[in-house]
Amino acid sequence: MKKILLLSVLALLGLCGQLLAQDKLITGKIVDAKDGSPLPGVSIAVRGSNKGTTTDAMGNYKVNASGNAVLSISFVGYSSQDVKIGNRSEVNVQLTESINQLSEVVVSGLATSVKRSNLANSVGTVSASQLTGTTTPITTDGALYGKLAGVTIQQNTSMPGGGFNVQLRGVSTLGASGSQPLFIVDGVYIDNSQSANGRGVANKATSGSNSDSQDNNPNRLADLNPDDIESMEVLKGASAAALYGTRANAGVVIITTKRGKGGKTKISFGQDIGFGEAQRFFGGAEWTEQKIKDWFNPDDIPAFKAAKASGKYYDYERELYGEKGIIKNTRLSLTGGDERTKFYVNGSLADEKGIIKNTGFTRASIRANIDHKINKWLDFGISSNYVFTNTDRGWAGNDNSNINYGYSIPYTHPWVDLHPDATGRYPDNDPAVGENPLAIRDRATNNLKVNRFIQGFTANARIINSATTGLTFRLNGGFDVQSGYSLVYLPADLQSQLAEKNPGLAQDSRNEVTNTNFQASLIFTKSLMDNGLNLTTSAGLVRLNSTGRYTFSRGQGLPVGVNTPAGGSVITSIPFYQSNTDVGIFAQQEANYQDKIIATAGIRFDKSTLNGEFDRFYAFPRGSVALNLAKFGTWAGEKVNQMKVRIAYGETGGVPTFGTPYTNLNVISVGGIGGLTVSTGGGNPKIQPERATELEYGVDFGLFGGRLTGELTLYNKKVFDLIQPLTTAPTTGLSSVQTNLADLENKGVEFSLGGTPVKTKNFSWTMNAIYYQNRSVITRLGIPTRNTGAFGATFGSYRIKLDRSPTEVVGNPKTDPADATSFTVYGDHQPKFNLSLNNTFHYKNFDLTVLGEYRHQFTVISLARELFDEGGTTSDWNSTSLNKGSSGKPATGADVVPNGISRQNANGIIDGVIQEGYNPSVVSFFKLREVGLYYKIPSGVVKKAFRNAVEGIKVGFSGSNLFMWTDYKSGYDPENSNFGTQAINAGVDIGSIPPVRRLMFRLTIDL
Amino acid sequence: MKKIIYSIFSALLLANGLMSCGITTTEQVINPNNPSLSSVTSNATKGQLDALAIGQIGRARDGIDTYTQVVGTAGKELFNFNSTENRWMTELNGTKPLDNSNFYGGATTAFGPAVRQANTLIAAVANTKSVTAQEASGYLGLANTFKGLANLYELNVQYTNGVRLNVEDPLKPSKFATYDESLAGIKKFLDDGAAQLDAAGATFPFAMPATYAGFNTPANFKKFNRAIALRVAIYQKDWAGAAALLPQTFLSETGSLTAGPSHTFNPTNPDVGNPLINTSTVRIVGVEKLWNDAEVGDLRLKKLSVISPSISFTNGVVYATKYLANMYNSASSSVPIIRNEELVLIAAEVAAQQGKTADATKYINIVRMAAGLKNYAGVTDKDALINAILKERAYSLWYEGHRWVDMRRYGKLSEITLPVAGMAIYDKMPRPLAEVNWDIANP
Repeated sequence: MKKILLLSVLALLGLCGQLLAQDKLITGKIVDAKDGSPLPGVSIAVRGSNKGTTTDAMGNYKVNASGNAVLSISFVGYSSQDVKIGNRSEVNVQLTESINQLSEVVVSGLATSVKRSNLANSVGTVSASQLTGTTTPITTDGALYGKLAGVTIQQNTSMPGGGFNVQLRGVSTLGASGSQPLFIVDGVYIDNSQSANGRGVANKATSGSNSDSQDNNPNRLADLNPDDIESMEVLKGASAAALYGTRANAGVVIITTKRGKGGKTKISFGQDIGFGEAQRFFGGAEWTEQKIKDWFNPDDIPAFKAAKASGKYYDYERELYGEKGIIKNTRLSLTGGDERTKFYVNGSLADEKGIIKNTGFTRASIRANIDHKINKWLDFGISSNYVFTNTDRGWAGNDNSNINYGYSIPYTHPWVDLHPDATGRYPDNDPAVGENPLAIRDRATNNLKVNRFIQGFTANARIINSATTGLTFRLNGGFDVQSGYSLVYLPADLQSQLAEKNPGLAQDSRNEVTNTNFQASLIFTKSLMDNGLNLTTSAGLVRLNSTGRYTFSRGQGLPVGVNTPAGGSVITSIPFYQSNTDVGIFAQQEANYQDKIIATAGIRFDKSTLNGEFDRFYAFPRGSVALNLAKFGTWAGEKVNQMKVRIAYGETGGVPTFGTPYTNLNVISVGGIGGLTVSTGGGNPKIQPERATELEYGVDFGLFGGRLTGELTLYNKKVFDLIQPLTTAPTTGLSSVQTNLADLENKGVEFSLGGTPVKTKNFSWTMNAIYYQNRSVITRLGIPTRNTGAFGATFGSYRIKLDRSPTEVVGNPKTDPADATSFTVYGDHQPKFNLSLNNTFHYKNFDLTVLGEYRHQFTVISLARELFDEGGTTSDWNSTSLNKGSSGKPATGADVVPNGISRQNANGIIDGVIQEGYNPSVVSFFKLREVGLYYKIPSGVVKKAFRNAVEGIKVGFSGSNLFMWTDYKSGYDPENSNFGTQAINAGVDIGSIPPVRRLMFRLTIDL
Repeated sequence: MKKIIYSIFSALLLANGLMSCGITTTEQVINPNNPSLSSVTSNATKGQLDALAIGQIGRARDGIDTYTQVVGTAGKELFNFNSTENRWMTELNGTKPLDNSNFYGGATTAFGPAVRQANTLIAAVANTKSVTAQEASGYLGLANTFKGLANLYELNVQYTNGVRLNVEDPLKPSKFATYDESLAGIKKFLDDGAAQLDAAGATFPFAMPATYAGFNTPANFKKFNRAIALRVAIYQKDWAGAAALLPQTFLSETGSLTAGPSHTFNPTNPDVGNPLINTSTVRIVGVEKLWNDAEVGDLRLKKLSVISPSISFTNGVVYATKYLANMYNSASSSVPIIRNEELVLIAAEVAAQQGKTADATKYINIVRMAAGLKNYAGVTDKDALINAILKERAYSLWYEGHRWVDMRRYGKLSEITLPVAGMAIYDKMPRPLAEVNWDIANP
């Protein structure tokens, strides 16, 4: 690396001459057209050159430009303007707010960007105010709900710290490649994996391996402070993301953090305080002697009667999940600088307690973004972020050890007193339940700490910078170093542990992840035909490297009170290593003819050591055209501000997961003698990357001065050579081999419509509606049909079958008992459509924002109610509304059984009707995602009160997930997902906890 | 313009410089975590073959938990009161239809890896010159013995669905053989193994774990091989063949009934702990009627603890019993593969089938005496003796995976009392879905 830097500096020093200097100094001020307030940070670009600047805190700018140049003035959230300089030396501009952000600048390649109004793709952008303006999300992915078309987000659990599954435009992989988008923060490719910490082994949800989705940990995007983000750009498919090559099949999310804007140092302090609480409960059925006698263990009747008599009769669900978890979020930022050096520093402390005692998430983050101009042609910027997160995720989800309270609560009976006695000891639960959930809450540990440093850098050398020609050499990249430390601890004297032969478990896990990436690029711009035709050529090299070292040691058979693995009588210690290097070469040509025709063509060549052929380059081309019809002639008039048709095509890849080429021999020991066994999974040394092509086309329009805007996009995303396990006949001893024998196709529609129905001096109402849908189908399958995921056909599972959707959920009963494969098809995990509506109302100094999201008819595999039914605790357990007899057939009268029994007895299809009680459910929901009500104290009042020491004060209330409507009856929340972030196998609800409603008060003070 | 040309030239130089610093060079990543299969498929060293042989002994343990628990439930000798998985009580007992795609399919599929290990070891031996012919025979005898055993477990569960006898190329497995063909094929694996053990000299080239004491030379190991072949013979109702095999096994009228090779367990990784022990969620219980019917003073009741009040299960099926399995008290407890007690009872069965009444009662009484019971005093016609032997087998071989198979081979499944109304008794487990899907895709 050093060598490279040295070389580039030498090269640059050698070749850079003087700049052309026929320019004059232009100054000016940019203000908000609404109230004349200065706009800091507005970018001023001299068209056809690389020159540009941004306004300072007072909205002032200075730039050198020739008289016949055109200034492009753009700012996130405002309509951009092109202004001819002419003979003026002072150019003042008023910008008007734009609701669809036609004018914002969007990335168009690895080194270039384009104005949204000229973009040929549908790229979703979320600004800081959309992200954190309404309410304070704990994690960045959680802040995207309902804000972008084609972006489906699912929260795996409501435990603090998040854990999200982000799917862009349907299904991009069937699980063997990365299912989550690539996240790039200020040019650094960051790790977004879910750490494994052995919790799934501790509670036996899984056996053996340490790397497991059932550990239920947050994905590491949780480390990024959402408040640092200036904007997020979501490249949803291959046509937009082609230049990211083999990393981009699941899409790319480009995050830009806030940067200093120069001028007077501004200090901003913000404080949120609030709480989270359970949105709904599921259990609570009453108990009677008769119910116990008829359906449960009659030996319990004396205890039941005694508890009723003494009042020691408890609702443990409401007790355990009934806490109000305090949420605190404190931020202090400083921005400022001068002409040459600008800085942004933000320190924040986020702390959220869960609705269960001893769960929580804390993040301390400090960021320093510094930009410096060395001279007229050389500048650099660095972005440094150190984060420490501390997560206590508790014990929910699937379990095979009685430990998870999410699993034991449904079975726990109200007459059993589980509260610690006077000596502090926790009583045993019923042996059939096996563990006291309060003891797990108070005594077991599931803690994960992460120290993380993300460092980005960028350096630009404007080698040529004339009125019509620009050549810039750019180096950028960075690293992401992460060190995770986790402790999972079950004391040896827990009831469940005493039932084990080696009671007590402590696992110490260390995850060390280092990502580095580096990019060198040249950007050449040329303006021809008197600025009528602008050409941008970019080309460069990309290299990224990722290494992971995961080690854990687990001690079992611990003395009471010992939580270090070394104290165990049985100690397991396993390291796992992985590393990979990708290299890419890219080139792109962009052409813009008078903003009328904008065309782009590009290509990337990529190789990755994860592929079977580690040294082979794969090509990923792209091309796009956008036509701004409103600029052809004068037909558009005043009313049509924009009418753009666009079409784009691109290809991307998806690399195999680490280790796919290898068939392992596993080391075992038999009575102290070492041996080797052949792994049941077969490696494929010829594995190829998955390859996606996408054709996207659409129309964007803006009418009545931006009062009504819209975007309609259709796409067809095909994924070829999907890495799929060829599921062999398992009695051969080979369970599967990874192959490239499947293709799939996603077709979808995305439509968004924004408008300002009312706009007066004091009051305005803007709304934004988003509709999208996606349909996926497997178009080639060279392997046998296979069921995958969840817990077998009894409860429903996914099925990979030709001509069917890969996210189709099937299960028992069989429609033809004689046919082993005649599963009932329940539906698709992907919603039929998604709809969201965002309304913002301004009245004088009040702002009210309301964001709701609706998902229509998606299928989840729910075992949540099953557990409550077995335990006799479902809220409608005692009801006989299903009117079924004990045989599952309609009751004839006296033989009617409670719903809770009837659902458990569901057995096949009777009279053509699938009996109620099978577990896949087709459901819809509406969630009120975000509500914010703020009041900005008039600046005159503030300034007077604080003698000009304070610029502004804003106060208000906000909430997230305040309300949910759903027809889901089989669990708390249809979003819950036991198996973490995966393309297939999401939406399995078992042992989960209630959804959380959050309410917060916010105070922001600007100095 | 000149300057532009210079600049581009310089940039190209720079790009060239970057290339030459190796920015585009990558190296193949060699598996950092495990050795790979290809390292043994040709020219394996003796050490590697030894490791594969130990791997074979280790693989032989896979699946015995699911197998004994599924077969035990199917034969209504035991239940798995699993607090987080009620399908052990519902589907496996017939209150709901059996599923072909979930965990209990492991009673069949978990034996695949042992077969593959054997095929790998056999192929590795064939593709190396690093061992003598005699040493090679030792590896092969071991591999074929365990291959036969694994296939026999699969067949016991699949019954008339049969097994795939040739899976040497896992991507080109043979079709399912019929039940009789399957038994014949398994006999062939075992007979091949026996012949190879005969040619293997006085010692194996590899060390064996302590639980194989008495079976750790080719000659002694062959007695174990013949004991498995004996099981096959009685399943084939080949009583003459069985009679001929008996003396080749480790049958002993005077020796310990627990004699026999055992699986080794140890919870310390990379060994594995005993999977048959009760845990926080798995409670193996005796079916109450079976053990209530045991004769007074039967010492075999010590396999269970009697719990008061009863242990109850209410998740989907309501059932209570006072018998809790107590056969293994440590995660390091070894598990017998086949014991002298079974051989004695097979000897009794063969004698009864061949009309040698006195021999039959003699063998029955060996077992009864060890159980603290009086000599057999019942009727001595063939049917009565067989019933008596089946009864002794139910208690002697409890939780060893026999009751269901025994009642099935005598057509007596319907004689098993259903512990709960609504339960049913299957004669076989469904063919696993992945096997069905394979055959649909590869007709």
